[in-house]
Amino acid sequence: MLIKQMPARVESLHDLLTFITAEAKKKGFSEDARQRIELVAEEALVNVFVHGYAQDPGQVEVRCLDSDDTALTIEVRDTGVSFNPLSLADPDMQPDLASRKIGGMGVFLIRKMTEGVDYRREGDSNILTMTFHNR
Amino acid sequence: MEIIVTNESDIFVFAIQGRLDAVTVPQLEERLNQWFEQSGTKLVFDLEGLDYISSAGLRVFLTTAKKMKARNGKLCMARLRDNVKDVFTISGFIALIPAFDTLGAAQDAVQ
Repeated sequence: MLIKQMPARVESLHDLLTFITAEAKKKGFSEDARQRIELVAEEALVNVFVHGYAQDPGQVEVRCLDSDDTALTIEVRDTGVSFNPLSLADPDMQPDLASRKIGGMGVFLIRKMTEGVDYRREGDSNILTMTFHNR
Repeated sequence: MEIIVTNESDIFVFAIQGRLDAVTVPQLEERLNQWFEQSGTKLVFDLEGLDYISSAGLRVFLTTAKKMKARNGKLCMARLRDNVKDVFTISGFIALIPAFDTLGAAQDAVQ
């Protein structure tokens, strides 16, 4: 299992995404698929930066789990405030500009662009697990 | 990310190149805020060079579209790459900001 831990702030984003996409490349994911993985990972990480550590600074940890098959499973772990992003309702999808609200899109993209996503709270950690299939 | 702003008469084109993500979004916001200090009403985002957009980028596009509507202006996008277009389609934003295959068509649409 590969693990990378960094300060949970936006300055860490590019390094963490590079770490994840390198693993996806090793697994043979296409460039298109890697971009989707990158997008989902950004949304998950930015959620941690913004919601998990709104008050106090902390660390975020990314784990690329071992698996025999061709799927890629990533865990994003933080010890910020207890927050289940999957508890959020889907955003308002109004096609009308005036009534369309801003926000909630990150989690929506995570749901739409992963083959599996799961949240659990373990001790003082939030753990978001995301699985991508190599098609 | 690089932003190149040009204009032909009163139509302004923002060519946004590279990555539009949580790290780079403040750059675009700053350029747009400067632009909104003027009274322009015709704006095109040329996305031929845009490799990547996340929800942070979508948020700026939506804010911009709302501001343009508030001043009775027009905002269009041109030349979206397939992966960028996917993000606009999945998020439903494609219905909010008109998108065109060529820059000329987008310029005509805001005229």
